[in-house]
This record gives sequence, structure tokens and C-alpha cells, in this order.
Amino acid sequence: MERTGSCACGAVTIKTTQDPMSTFACWCTDCQKLTTGGAAHDAFFRSEDVSWSGTIKWHEVMPASGTPLARGFCPECGTPLLARSTADRPFYVVRIGIFDDTSDLAPQQTIWTSSAPHWAHIDPNVPSRER
Amino acid sequence: MSLDGACRCGAIRVTTRGAPIATRACWCTDCQMIATGGPTNNIFFRSEDVTIDGPIRWHDVMADSGVPLARGFCPECGTPIASQSHARRHLITLRIGIFPDREALGPASVIWTTSAPGWACIDPALLQVERQPAPLA
Repeated sequence: MERTGSCACGAVTIKTTQDPMSTFACWCTDCQKLTTGGAAHDAFFRSEDVSWSGTIKWHEVMPASGTPLARGFCPECGTPLLARSTADRPFYVVRIGIFDDTSDLAPQQTIWTSSAPHWAHIDPNVPSRER
Repeated sequence: MSLDGACRCGAIRVTTRGAPIATRACWCTDCQMIATGGPTNNIFFRSEDVTIDGPIRWHDVMADSGVPLARGFCPECGTPIASQSHARRHLITLRIGIFPDREALGPASVIWTTSAPGWACIDPALLQVERQPAPLA
């Protein structure tokens, strides 16, 4: 299924041409910082299934997983858009908030629950991992 | 009570003084976009109780509530920092993700539940408001 999404100001538009390989919510400390204090909501796509127009600013981080990541956002409005491994892995993580309709993009698992704050309300019906 | 926070790269630093006015999570469609698809997690202060140092970038949006908002983020690393209503400049909203210890900063209420996706897992113990509640102050 093809999907389109964009940042808040419309400077960046993203298209995905296939369904995601997986979806998850991540409570690692890096993701909490990026997402205002909650979990990141991500969909994994094969790199060849993701394209965009507009300028994305990339910022490199070393997250708790130990895999270096570049996180992409719109430099005009700050909307988080994508992440990609800088270790040359063939996928993109797309932040599902960019899509107009996220109703069928529920997280299939929750990860890094060990670093979630005690008040986090984590869906007990979704498989979870401490790290 | 004083809180010190920063963006991921450290270019923006935030200091608060005095007591926060409220904490709450927001599922409005705008917030879902900047929070990667979940709610934003926010803490409200009087504007005079907050100092922001560094080259924060502001972006204006028309919120679902119909009120124009400025949303501030770090232009280097993209971390969401703050939000302020143009109609209520005496208050400022800070994103709790900027603070190193968030255990005491959890939301007391959840707003705009009407626009949350069906899979959203919202704590039933929290006060829930379908749309925009009355102004805090």
C-alpha cells in the first residue's frame, strides 16, 4: 500500500510504496528526548520503498542500542521525519506522525521499556522488550 | 523547584524557576506530528519563570483549538523544546523530554483524546478531555 506524509509546514513530503516491515514504539532515552518525553512511534521500511522531496536536516546520535543513527527532521518546522542507521543497513525508520492516517500503523511491539518512566502507560496487549 | 533541561546536542538550554502550573499530554493532530505519532508530553510554566538560552527556532502553526501557536525546536538536532500560544503569552509550555529526570513530570491529564488513533493506550486513571479544555491561567 502506498502512503504519503509530510511535515507540519509542508516543506518535506515523503512517500512509501510498500507496507512497513514492522512497527514499534521505543522508550529509549534518546527517543523520549526526541518525542517530547514519550515513546517514538516508528515504522520500518526497506530503503528502496521510501522517497522524499524537500530538504531534510540530519543529526547523528549514538543511541542506547549502540548502533549509530542519523535522525532526520524538517529544518523549517522541526517535525521528526526519519531515522537511518549510519552502519549502512538497508532500511529507513519513518516516524508515523507524518502520515495523514495512522490508524493501521499501531505499534506491533514496545521496546526499551526498562527506560520508560513509571507513569508510562504501556499497552499490555502488545509484546514488549526491556531493551 | 527548579528544573534544568537541554536539547539532544546541547545547543539549547532551559531553566525553570517556581512551581509548574500543570502537566498534561495532548493527542491533537499537530502534536502527534511533532511527537512522531503519539501525544506530546507537556509541562506549563509562567513565562517569567522560564529562561531559554541558545538559538531556538520558532515555527507558527494554527492549532486544532483554533489558536495560533509558536512551537520551538533546536535547529541543530531537532529536539522539540517549547510551545507558546500567541493568545496567552504569559504562559509557556515545555516538552518534558528536555529534562533528564521525567519521573515526577508525568501528565496529570490527557487532552484531545478525540483525535487519538484507535490503538492509543491512554491511562484510564488520568483526567481525559475530548478536545481543548478551558485555559489554565
